[in-house]
Amino acid sequence: MPEIARRDFLGAVSGAVAALAARRVRAASPRRISIALAARSPQTLNPSRTTLGADNWACRQIFDTLVVPEDGTFALTPDAFKPSLAESWDSSPDAKTWTFHLRRNVPFHKGYGDLTADDVAFTFGRLIDPKVVVSGKVLYANIDRVEAVNPQTVGFTLKQPDPTFCGSSIYTMSGNIISRKAFEEKGDKFAFDPVGTGPFQFDRVDFSKGVYLKAFPQHFRGPPASPELDILYILDTTARTLAFLSGQVDMIEGARTPGWMNSIKQRKPDTAFDATKPGSVNTLHMNLTRKPFDNLKVREAVRYAIDRKALAAAYGPMGGVIWGLIPVEFPGSVSDKNLPPDLQYPYDPDKAKQLLAEAGYPNGVAFSCFTSQREDYSAIMLMVQEQLRKVGFRVDMQIIDHATFHSQSDHDLNTLIMLSSSYPPVPTQPLLEQLSSHAVVKPDGTGGDNYSHYGVAIPGVDDLLAKVLEEPDFAKRAALCQAVERQVLKDLPVIGLLTLSYVIARNPRVSLGYEVKSGYAYWPLRTAQPAA
Amino acid sequence: MWKYIGLRIVDAVPTVILVLSLVFVALRLLPGDPAQVVLGDNATAAQLELFRKQMGLDAPLWHQYLSFMYNVATLRFGRSLVNGVPIIQLLAVNLPYTIQLTIAATFIGVALGIPLGVVSARHRGEPLDDVARIFALLGYAVPDFYLGAIFLIYLSLDLGLFPINGTGSGLIDQMHHLVLPALTLGLVKAAFLSRLTRASLLEVLSKDYVRTARAKGAREGRVIYRHALRNALLPVVTGLGLSILATLSGSVAIELVFGRPGIGNMLIGAVETRDYPVVQAGIIVFALFVVLVNLAVDLLAIAVDPRIRVR
Repeated sequence: MPEIARRDFLGAVSGAVAALAARRVRAASPRRISIALAARSPQTLNPSRTTLGADNWACRQIFDTLVVPEDGTFALTPDAFKPSLAESWDSSPDAKTWTFHLRRNVPFHKGYGDLTADDVAFTFGRLIDPKVVVSGKVLYANIDRVEAVNPQTVGFTLKQPDPTFCGSSIYTMSGNIISRKAFEEKGDKFAFDPVGTGPFQFDRVDFSKGVYLKAFPQHFRGPPASPELDILYILDTTARTLAFLSGQVDMIEGARTPGWMNSIKQRKPDTAFDATKPGSVNTLHMNLTRKPFDNLKVREAVRYAIDRKALAAAYGPMGGVIWGLIPVEFPGSVSDKNLPPDLQYPYDPDKAKQLLAEAGYPNGVAFSCFTSQREDYSAIMLMVQEQLRKVGFRVDMQIIDHATFHSQSDHDLNTLIMLSSSYPPVPTQPLLEQLSSHAVVKPDGTGGDNYSHYGVAIPGVDDLLAKVLEEPDFAKRAALCQAVERQVLKDLPVIGLLTLSYVIARNPRVSLGYEVKSGYAYWPLRTAQPAA
Repeated sequence: MWKYIGLRIVDAVPTVILVLSLVFVALRLLPGDPAQVVLGDNATAAQLELFRKQMGLDAPLWHQYLSFMYNVATLRFGRSLVNGVPIIQLLAVNLPYTIQLTIAATFIGVALGIPLGVVSARHRGEPLDDVARIFALLGYAVPDFYLGAIFLIYLSLDLGLFPINGTGSGLIDQMHHLVLPALTLGLVKAAFLSRLTRASLLEVLSKDYVRTARAKGAREGRVIYRHALRNALLPVVTGLGLSILATLSGSVAIELVFGRPGIGNMLIGAVETRDYPVVQAGIIVFALFVVLVNLAVDLLAIAVDPRIRVR
């Protein structure tokens, strides 16, 4: 072994360290694009089991649905959907029978053959099979049966009319079509070796870093603009933000905290922000079975005490004002444009104090509640707590971890409950999930998201909802939803607080290929590429 | 010696069983449902029940407990409830990063902290001592995640000297990624060790045998390094053991700030998602570390202080 002089060794080490130190942080490869999302580790890439936002992003790129909205939008009406794996579709006049005609010669990744109606029937068959565990099962509860009519045609029969079927069940995460052959062959391993028809195919997963995808050149819309896509899982907002500012990643998921966008702009003024409108819908449930919220005047006082415009303004362009449960951007919604003055509840702290006094609480009232430590929950509820304090509500609020919050709230242990939900423009969804008596929270935890007990403590809404569900015409159905919203504004079991955009900060050197206006909290990156 | 090591490991078994039992019970008492986490907020009651049945979460608690202890005894950790990945695979991914970080931080802590403590003690009351004490005070006062963020902003983002986050690929790149997190934890550790060394050395320096050595005309360096330091190192070694254990379990903030994987990060995620098998496996790993580090400290103490003998 050759001898190395001490001086030579030290010189070599110093040189290596100096070379490392002098090296600037390597920018992302110009052809590869990367996105860092707020998550710790991949959980599954089986689209029927994903609940994690970062996994949803990966699945959106790997799989295709039968129909899609225009890129960067939600399809606000049934006729706004565009063909995807289905070239065309039609429904019966009662909106209970839907037939989809599939595109021909659509290959699955990795040589698993071409898409057939059998793959579609298999995908949706699992979603309605009570013995199969999938996420979002409730979205498919209205499907009575699905069958492959012939290799290119799939038929769905619904239990009740649904003119919004494409939005309520087809264009959903679990509605992504999987290869039956691959799924049956791989079993549990499909979760991290998925096979779809999407523009990107799965390359590898690193449980400590993320999911790596590569282009699928045979995609039926042509190869994606970028040959590789890295979906990185970086939970910490600071770490994610610094990775973006240094140019290490092209896009990052934003934090849903007031001031986050401004802080990014200060460091990197040319940052592009892609934001969905409306984003999440944040509602405040008042438990009607508990004092003081069994009193309508108290609930009215809460409504007048909360300055919804101020809540939305705190988030800058991310925040949006909401009047009912359905966001103003969606059909079926109500707003100051179509509500009578007595149901608009403008911010009026004096009136709130007066109502509180009339309710028998001239010196204010105290109650306790808890909320989640998740950044959006805790920030919004702290603002609500402060606004309520100004009119005499003394809210003893605990901030606890998210899983505990849901568990305790789902066991009917909470009094004032904020809920953050994301909905497609299917007006019945928030109403059924948050108002129906079937969704009332139960002490054993088997109930749904109706934390106010509306429909049971104050009956009547179920009849209104039943009328909505029987209506096959979309425009009439939307009008009936508005009627439900008006009734809710009279009874006030739930208050719409604000909508909050889902935001991705994007390095302007990457072009998305379209403008993000609305949609789910994930979007296709098929056309994303480094700008010329 | 080997008999001693064996006995120490056997001694640790009841402690480990107790810890595992407490963790098992505590996790089940904690509100939150893994089925709800996995299936999402809008899962139906029937689906939640089906999931619990498939995962064995509907079995009586005593049955789950016995099954868990049997699996531990046979080294079968099972799969994560959340992503279905074998837990051995998750440990294999995360553990090396934790060990890597702990070793590097300990090396920096020892290399900086002990000499600083010696210098501080030797120059007691002098400006050098003041500087060392201020350093130690800052090390105690500044939270490690804050120090890490400061390093990231100035050394990585502004100067571009180090990568922002991740772990890198290849030996050199990995070392490059390791520098800042290790330096952050190492500086905190150095502050702790320097104070400990200083206090311990000052106590030893007032002993008769040190005075005797000086009276015999021994040079100050020989007095310090030959006679005093070895005797002063005993509490430092014990403190070092505690510090290593604190790094193993408490490096999660650093892992988050630097976007590094690791056992702490994995464990926190598993607690959040109520992924019982992963939490349990993580605790087993920590319990083993506690046993091993304590054993190493005892052996090191024997090496440092010949008066301690194995019985």
